[in-house]
Amino acid sequence: MTLVFREREVSLAHILILPLLAVGVAFLAGSLLMIWANVDPLVGYASFLSGSLGGYVQVTDTLLRTTPFLLMAVGIAFSNRSGVLNVGAEGQYLMGAIATTATALYLQSVGINPVVVLIISVIAGATAGALWASVAGFMKAYFEINEIVVTVIMNWLALKIMQWLLRGPLKNPLSQMWPMSPPVGVKLPIILPGTRLHAGFILALVIALLTHYILFKTKTGFMVRVLGSNPNAAKYSGLPVKKLIVFSLAYSGALAGLAGGIEILGVFHFLYEGIAVGLGYTSIIASLLGRNNPVGIIGSSLIFGMIYNGTVYLQSATGLTYTFSKAVEGLIYIFFMLFTILILYEVKLVVKREES
Amino acid sequence: MIQEPILRMKNIVKKFPGVVAVDHVDLTLNRGEVLAILGENGAGKTTLMNVLYGLLRPDEGEIYIEDKKVSHHSPIDAIRNGIGMVHQHFTLVEDLTISENIILGLKEFGFFIDMKKITREIEEFAGKLGLKINPNVKVWQLSAGEKQKVEILKALFRNPRILILDEPTSVLTPQDTKELFKAIRKLKQNGLSIIFISHKLEEVLQIADRIVVLRRGKVVGELLRNEAEPRLLAELMVGREVLLEVKATPKAQVGEVILEIQGLEALGDRGNLALRGVSMKIKSGEILGIAGVSGNGQKELAETIYGLRKPTRGKIFFLGRDITKSSVLDRIQLGISYIPAERLKYGVVGDLPLYENAILTRIAENQIINSLPVVPPSLRPMNIKVIEKFATDLISRYSVVTPSHKTLVRNLSGGNIQRVIVGREIDRKPKLLIAEEPTAGLDIAATEFIREKLIELKNNNCSILLISSDLSELLSLSDKIAIMYNGEIVGAFKPGELDIDDIGLMMSGYKKMLRERIDLYWA
Repeated sequence: MTLVFREREVSLAHILILPLLAVGVAFLAGSLLMIWANVDPLVGYASFLSGSLGGYVQVTDTLLRTTPFLLMAVGIAFSNRSGVLNVGAEGQYLMGAIATTATALYLQSVGINPVVVLIISVIAGATAGALWASVAGFMKAYFEINEIVVTVIMNWLALKIMQWLLRGPLKNPLSQMWPMSPPVGVKLPIILPGTRLHAGFILALVIALLTHYILFKTKTGFMVRVLGSNPNAAKYSGLPVKKLIVFSLAYSGALAGLAGGIEILGVFHFLYEGIAVGLGYTSIIASLLGRNNPVGIIGSSLIFGMIYNGTVYLQSATGLTYTFSKAVEGLIYIFFMLFTILILYEVKLVVKREES
Repeated sequence: MIQEPILRMKNIVKKFPGVVAVDHVDLTLNRGEVLAILGENGAGKTTLMNVLYGLLRPDEGEIYIEDKKVSHHSPIDAIRNGIGMVHQHFTLVEDLTISENIILGLKEFGFFIDMKKITREIEEFAGKLGLKINPNVKVWQLSAGEKQKVEILKALFRNPRILILDEPTSVLTPQDTKELFKAIRKLKQNGLSIIFISHKLEEVLQIADRIVVLRRGKVVGELLRNEAEPRLLAELMVGREVLLEVKATPKAQVGEVILEIQGLEALGDRGNLALRGVSMKIKSGEILGIAGVSGNGQKELAETIYGLRKPTRGKIFFLGRDITKSSVLDRIQLGISYIPAERLKYGVVGDLPLYENAILTRIAENQIINSLPVVPPSLRPMNIKVIEKFATDLISRYSVVTPSHKTLVRNLSGGNIQRVIVGREIDRKPKLLIAEEPTAGLDIAATEFIREKLIELKNNNCSILLISSDLSELLSLSDKIAIMYNGEIVGAFKPGELDIDDIGLMMSGYKKMLRERIDLYWA
């Protein structure tokens, strides 16, 4: 018996069905996990749904959680399109959060107009993320060092830098128990009264659409896509391959850094170790689920925003912790891969008959 | 001669999405004969053989070997039923020795292998066939001709009754080809039945006992050798009268020097010295042919002139300007075009649509970008109307067969991909065109078309560096021809000055012209 794979002609319906199917089946498998943990899946998912979509506040909170996923996944998709895999969104996100916090703290101590402080510290976050990522870009472009290795290592480096800063230069003298920075006074404006949804969400949406435009309508995007699908042809066509590699990683890092800065200015208002919970890794799955297409990623990040938010309610209703959401994420990843094969290929089981 | 069929393929049908690649084909192979399957690219020759060899499953039809019905699910079944196949492209593992390659996949050998014994066996086996090899040599050290021998040995070592040779001469020198034919005749005498696939008329006429002509998946003719005649075969193959040779007329006057190369040296991919001091000049409106067995520095020469490979010594002047250190983009903008031999690897991006591939080498041109104030050019929207016009013009002028200009290039056939590349490069109106194997693997219609375009370009005063392993192509198109061997130019001549034997001897390194005599051709 052998399995035979044949590439199928893919329509838009296939592409839309694929992520939904993966998510659906992952949730079904998640219910098995719930049964195993002695939780009634119906109760569990009811609380999950009410937590993520149950009302005005819940929906806006889901959008709030969607924001960092959206920014980071769009960035990751951009570098994926150039054939460079950025596994370092987590570290770039932390560096962005650090830079934004430090800049905002410094500028507010100097006493500048809060709007200016806000703008400059957002830019500082994006710049820090871009610089952090372009280290891997330079090493890949000029020394042919694998970017996956470099970005992963630099995630740890970023985490350690943050931990040191929180115990040193950025330490809040008033906090005794938890290492944290002094509070950041400037805040992103809330766009819907009575909720926590801030302007960062709109910014992320705009950036996603802008990235879509850059990727598919401009010369830069064209060059990125040529490089990503055939590096030899890129060299043959005289494209600035090295610059493109550095640029696409820097762009990717800028979006992750921006996500970090926005989380500080819109949600946390101070820097602490708890901001490093692996959002950057989840975003890799979100970009995959969105098929490296910024518009698709708007949809996939919403799913992860829901999961993240829904689990908070799930936890209070059933006692399942956030590790459950991590498990569901992993399941989505596995089923996405599986259905990619099942949907994009015709798979036949050929039973071999012995010749008479 | 007793006609005893060893293989019968009945009513074979193989469909791919959108095409019937093999359309109700009947084929009979007699014991001890050489059957040639002749046809253009895309005629279904290789598909038919892949069905026989178990690489593809037929949609309809039956295969009988010695009157026993067989069904091949994989090459393992085919080999078990006594079929050996030498593929068009080498399938050897470069880092293994010849004997290791030959026994690769053989079941008779267990975990422990007595390499010495096997080596001896292989040497004896090769000797019986009149092939001289040293089984301990690593495959990467071999020339194309030697690799071909190893491929054949590998197939024969499995003791087949039927041997399929798929375009076996495409990488061989005239001498290698002669030797291959000698070996084929010997194998035939030993009772082996051979299927010889080719699109080269003269070879088929030299070696075949019987010829089956395929066109668009159908058998359009079946002739005995003595019934066959070149013009008839070509007509059957293409379905119309064809011009067999496009002839370039030398221009009365050639103009100024366009490209000058002085003592160029460059490393190959393995760090070997691939170019060893190459000097030459090309004038405007001149076609300079580079003859040679592939792998003797031609590819490196093309890449170094185009800027993809950095020379370690020597200088390149283009229109009197030193471009030795210029980037590829600079050279493109100065008017150098390159048609690479490896089309899919370098020439196009398969996953992008045709219209985006049509501007691959025009990326620096302003016309592909909309004008928009303030925004830097690289972030302005591309001018889709202009780009689509490039593509539709290209499709109509170069007769590219494609459902639309939005079709992904990887879904086009090899000939149509080459039409896209050739069209794109010629439309840029280059001053120098480097054409590396521009017609390799193409059918007669596409070959003829591309040759005509090259001549048209030359008549418009463009210089062409034509690198080809097809000697008749070089002889009919070039004004001058240089022969490369082992990274050096070992001879230069104008078509007609040297006979084919001398050319072959120089191509294989047996003969060399004096440096002073070669230099006369660049004066």
